[in-house]
Amino acid sequence: MNFKHTARILVLSAAVAAFAAQAQGPTDPQIAAIVVTANQVDIDAGKLAKSKAHAKEVAAFAERMVVDHEGVNQSARELVSRLQVTPEPNATSESLQQGGDENLAKLEKLSGQAFDRAYVEHEVAYHQAVLDAVDKTLIPSAQNAELKALLVKVRPAFVAHLEHARQLQASLEQVGGLEHGE
Amino acid sequence: MPVNAYARTHRGFVLACALAALAAAGMSAAGNGAQEYTIAIEAMRFVPATLSVKRGDRVTWVNKDLVPHTATASAKAFDSGSIAPGGSWTYVATEAGTQAYVCAFHPTMKGEVSIR
Repeated sequence: MNFKHTARILVLSAAVAAFAAQAQGPTDPQIAAIVVTANQVDIDAGKLAKSKAHAKEVAAFAERMVVDHEGVNQSARELVSRLQVTPEPNATSESLQQGGDENLAKLEKLSGQAFDRAYVEHEVAYHQAVLDAVDKTLIPSAQNAELKALLVKVRPAFVAHLEHARQLQASLEQVGGLEHGE
Repeated sequence: MPVNAYARTHRGFVLACALAALAAAGMSAAGNGAQEYTIAIEAMRFVPATLSVKRGDRVTWVNKDLVPHTATASAKAFDSGSIAPGGSWTYVATEAGTQAYVCAFHPTMKGEVSIR
């Protein structure tokens, strides 16, 4: 289970890294599509987790992911609209979407503490992978100064989410042997 | 009519002078010497993270991030509730002591207000 999960995240990382390996990184329209998709994938997972989470801390985290990533996406959409950039789907955004769909399909089948652990584990790996992409590919490749500034501005939120998810993961492991996950 | 107009202008001038004097006095807001302080919430941090104020001072948190935040004292002395992006919330420092606070939404965000 863990191996398959890790493998999926590695596929995502590889798709992003593929840009880095090319002579040029993604264009601004491609970056726009990657940003919007990356946020939307986490919003969708958060909406599912809000209703299925066992521990109230996990439900609260899921609610936060929905609110925060919707806030980021609203700013991203406003910016690309103002810059008249049309988001252009690409291998990375499609890989993100596919990974998100697979994650939802997996989570749908789980419940209770197993759901919480799987959701939070994926959130840790996902935020780490997205942060890597932001740092290694998206910020360095962004041409438009405002698009680059938006990426720089949202980065700390992804860092805080990653740390929050790690704290949750640690607390879920601690109560792993107990009957109630709180 | 011209006299009234002069009076209005004069009153306006006096008011402008008074406001300018207040502004020149820095952050002083009220006659009792209370100060106004601003804590920016940006890049998922409280800036400054620690602040020392006197009782009666006003502390305003301004959310410069793209996501909502709170300023929630661990000892329940104050709780802003959700501060929307671009929004702000003001607390009038009442009880002396050191108040550790967090963002209730983002547990990595911590701050401290010392009230003397």
